[in-house]
Amino acid sequence: MRRSRIIKPLPAFVLAGLIMVYASYRLPRLLPGDFVSAMYASSPVTLTADQEAQIKAYYTRGEGFSRYFLNLFTLNWGYSYAFLTPISALILEALPWSLLLMGGAHVISMILGFIVGVEAAWRRGGYIERSGVGCMTVLEGIPEIGTGVILLLVFALYLGWFPASGAETAYAMFSPLGRAWDVAQHLALPLATLVLAYFPGNFLLTRGSMVMVLREQFVETARAKGLPPARVRYAHAARNALLPMVTRFGLRIAFMITGALVVETIYAYPGLGTLLFNAISMRDVPLIQGIVLISSLMVLFVNLVLEYVYGWIDPRVGHVP
Amino acid sequence: MYRRIHHELGGDPWFVAGAGIGLFLLLLVLLGPALAPHEPYNMSFIPLSPPSAGHWLGVNDGGMDIFSELLYGMRNTVAFGLVAGLVSLAIGVAVGLSAAWFGGVQDQLAMRLADILLAIPAVMILILIAALFRPSPSVLALTLSFMLWPTTAKGVRAQALVVKNGLHIHAARQMGASGAYIIVRHLLPELFPLYLIGFATKARMAMFMEASLAFLGLFDPSRKSLGIMISYALKYYYLDIWWNWLLPPVFLLSLLIMTVTFLAISLEKVFDPRLKEAM
Repeated sequence: MRRSRIIKPLPAFVLAGLIMVYASYRLPRLLPGDFVSAMYASSPVTLTADQEAQIKAYYTRGEGFSRYFLNLFTLNWGYSYAFLTPISALILEALPWSLLLMGGAHVISMILGFIVGVEAAWRRGGYIERSGVGCMTVLEGIPEIGTGVILLLVFALYLGWFPASGAETAYAMFSPLGRAWDVAQHLALPLATLVLAYFPGNFLLTRGSMVMVLREQFVETARAKGLPPARVRYAHAARNALLPMVTRFGLRIAFMITGALVVETIYAYPGLGTLLFNAISMRDVPLIQGIVLISSLMVLFVNLVLEYVYGWIDPRVGHVP
Repeated sequence: MYRRIHHELGGDPWFVAGAGIGLFLLLLVLLGPALAPHEPYNMSFIPLSPPSAGHWLGVNDGGMDIFSELLYGMRNTVAFGLVAGLVSLAIGVAVGLSAAWFGGVQDQLAMRLADILLAIPAVMILILIAALFRPSPSVLALTLSFMLWPTTAKGVRAQALVVKNGLHIHAARQMGASGAYIIVRHLLPELFPLYLIGFATKARMAMFMEASLAFLGLFDPSRKSLGIMISYALKYYYLDIWWNWLLPPVFLLSLLIMTVTFLAISLEKVFDPRLKEAM
């Protein structure tokens, strides 16, 4: 039983990963004829004859799929022609900022959404609770582009409370503590945008499932035993209400990534999203390919981990044939 | 059953709000070309001029009327969402129903394929294809719908399995009804609520992705889209163009996605009795 729980989700994820790697290997090679000149003809990047030959060689040297696959592990992901830098260096430089932004937003919105959702379900029917649900439903409908642009206009440009772009002040010689404060200030607006985008979904979902769980008999039993209400809420009921949030996370992940790309671009936050935006606007195909592949593999990994987290939260899952 | 649902939908403020704004936006979409005072590609006006009687929202940096651009851009965003929503719904229903009906190997294959597609982030495939091949928006919408069908298929399959073992289906079989007859006359109509929910959620996702990908510059830059308008206007944020150029597309896009969200949420609530209790 235990073994099957570990093995079961693996094939789909391994296959999905292989499909992504193969797609990123095969798709550029499907381009007809001399795509290099077609691609770069209208771009702001001008290539010397030497560079053009290099790019063509990069795509036509017929390295086999196995070689491409191995290069993936040795961080040999190719060379960006817009930045004149190895792709691995660019991605590894941008990755920490993206992880900080997205990870922070997810942790905050999940914890906040969970606690507020549980409390709202507990106090169901009150005036504040109902208007809160209404506000969250409206917020759930506003896309990240909308919140991002409005927060930028109000707090960065009009009020000037936060910096409008970047992740830290360039060339500023701060003490470590000053630097942390600087980074936090730059992080505030993009983080707020993402939290505003993720929080309502987590809240509504937790509240919905919590309301359902609170009707179960074991909650009644726990109350009847005279346990303190907070203990009934969190130790008994909330654990069961956690499940839908974890499941929905995997389903919404593509949606969330799209939003994060946009938010990073709006605030020129130097993560993978902005790197991708720059790569797209400079038509840097190898870089686009690298970013897409690496971030998809990371998403696959997160999804796989979630699968196990799900089984751990709800032991019943492992017992379903 | 349908009278009850009709009644409940009418009483749900979210549905009323969503349907009301939705109808208004639909009118704007349908009448767009008639309402637009100028050709959206006419570049003969004075660039960056402020709003006036001739140009309600002023003129953009390329000398095009912003109000007309807005109307045409919304048409493209909505059309993308509707196409992707409808096609992914059609695929999802076909795959889900056939998996539930035939079972066995076909069921296994379809569900494993769905698992794989669910694991792959759709937007990444879309970005890769858009950046490499520069396909037309309709091709991208179709690509997206090939990535989005699994959730619908899984929902349809689960519900179809329940209906398939219902008493009335057994009765129909006893009376000699063919498989095709049962699928078309019983299964398809009985799963109707699932289609509405599936369509609304998929269309919402597709519109959101269209705007975002356009914002990131993955579509033809001369194509009219709310996302592209926002991205162009954002380049001039230091000028006094917030109210007439930057905020209208932001507002319209938010309204559009909000409307579809309201509809999806209220449909889910009314058609899923367990959820309804929670609200």
